[in-house]
Amino acid sequence: MNTLPLLGPADPDAVMAYTEGEPYTRAQFLAQVIALANELPDRPAALNLVRDRYHFLVTFAAALLRGQTTFLPPTRAPTALAGLAQRYPASYCLTDGPETVEGLAAFHYLPADRPSQDLRIPEIPSEQTAAVVFTSGTSGVPKANQKTWGALSTVARRTAARFGLTDPPAVTVVATVPHHHMFGLETSIMLPLQCGLACYACKPLFPEDIRLALQRVPAPRALVTTPLHLRACLMERPTLPALAFILCATAPLARAWALEAEAMFDTRVHEIYGCAEAGSVATRRTVADPTWQTLDGIRVCRDADQDQLEASYLPRRVPFPDRITPLGVGRFLLHGRPAEEVNIGGRRTTLADLDHQLNAIDGVCDAAFFLPPDGQALVTRLVAFVVAPDKGREEIMADLRKRIDPAFLPRPLYLVEALPRNETGKLPREVLSTLEQTCRRRSIDGG
Amino acid sequence: MADVTPLESEVAGLIVETLDLKIEPAHIEPEAPLFGAGLGLDSIDALEMSLAISRAYGYRLRSDDPQITETFSSLRALCSAIARCRTK
Repeated sequence: MNTLPLLGPADPDAVMAYTEGEPYTRAQFLAQVIALANELPDRPAALNLVRDRYHFLVTFAAALLRGQTTFLPPTRAPTALAGLAQRYPASYCLTDGPETVEGLAAFHYLPADRPSQDLRIPEIPSEQTAAVVFTSGTSGVPKANQKTWGALSTVARRTAARFGLTDPPAVTVVATVPHHHMFGLETSIMLPLQCGLACYACKPLFPEDIRLALQRVPAPRALVTTPLHLRACLMERPTLPALAFILCATAPLARAWALEAEAMFDTRVHEIYGCAEAGSVATRRTVADPTWQTLDGIRVCRDADQDQLEASYLPRRVPFPDRITPLGVGRFLLHGRPAEEVNIGGRRTTLADLDHQLNAIDGVCDAAFFLPPDGQALVTRLVAFVVAPDKGREEIMADLRKRIDPAFLPRPLYLVEALPRNETGKLPREVLSTLEQTCRRRSIDGG
Repeated sequence: MADVTPLESEVAGLIVETLDLKIEPAHIEPEAPLFGAGLGLDSIDALEMSLAISRAYGYRLRSDDPQITETFSSLRALCSAIARCRTK
């Protein structure tokens, strides 16, 4: 059986995580992990809802040691969590706050300091399913993407090699992205575990948070973020401490913003392209080159007229979720997602899945989501059209809030008498666009 | 509708304009929750609002401010924080 160590080579006294209190060393971290692993319930999988990044690091590693799989919830919407509970009744819910999930046993993690000893670094089987990341399908049932320990570790090591992160002094990662999402897991959890980096336990949101978080950790520092947060920083212009680099993902970053960020914060801006199915796939330095270079060991191949990704750690080929143009060995141009996919502030889903959730609400006869063209706001929001003669807008919104991530809630939800479906029952985008303009005018005229 | 102060109606206008809410500013109840059930705002809105508030009033919001939850609880609470912390 192949195994890979829980922790990559690093000094046991090096810092694993900076928290609001004292930092934790890797030796202290390991002692906490081993102690917690003995306390976890005897179940095959944990739905991890832990909010603090360091607590997540400890609970994720302890679950690994116990041979348990960590489920990463795609959203905290109660109906979505209850759906996972129904699908995986043998799992339990791991929290560091007051949350519970209907139908699941709960384990509340209480952080406890443990004396650090000279502990042997545990080995984890490469084939063990370390995590399951859920992506939206089209039918309301999220698709489970299994991540083996071998796959997560390999991607981490190759990412570190790409950015030259393997040599001391270790970089500290400050991440605005959640550790429950694939990019956050890879950069703020796996890089510290496998490649000797340290992480910052909090998740800054506002530009002022980002400035303070970076100030609280020593150099060299890296900011792991999204185009949304980066653009907010460009607008607010905080004075940031020296940054080794900025790593941006979840949506393509405009070259102009990358140029501005490199100049304003005197650093390099790199992007990572990836997907939940394959993890991080390729990188680029946005200002220098629009083409993406795959990580070592990832091949782009064409199969049955479809571009696919292949790597030794992936159980099968993964179709590219985006349209691309291959440009020879390991290089490609990215053209964006198919129109039916939605990415709002880095959260992804499909219009089909959102429509399914909306139509599943009691009293809704017909309904459709629509993504208007980009306007002035940082983020363009969805609108929804609903036929529901016996229900009010507020009632439908309350139901919807339990089912979908807040980022996807419609702004606004229009109640209409009927949807302008064509003879095949379809709702072409142009038709919905006209309906949106009509509804908007009517709501403004009507006050 | 409850009485609103001039600052409250100004900030209500800022919220509607910044978040492109497609409602009348006067429809925002000063004591109603802005997030979750009320107006249904989320963390992306909080980020957008923080930029607009910083530009308009020179007040830079911070998540580790112990009063941040209170600040974003309603239009009225947000306005009293702005009144307290504004630099312009």
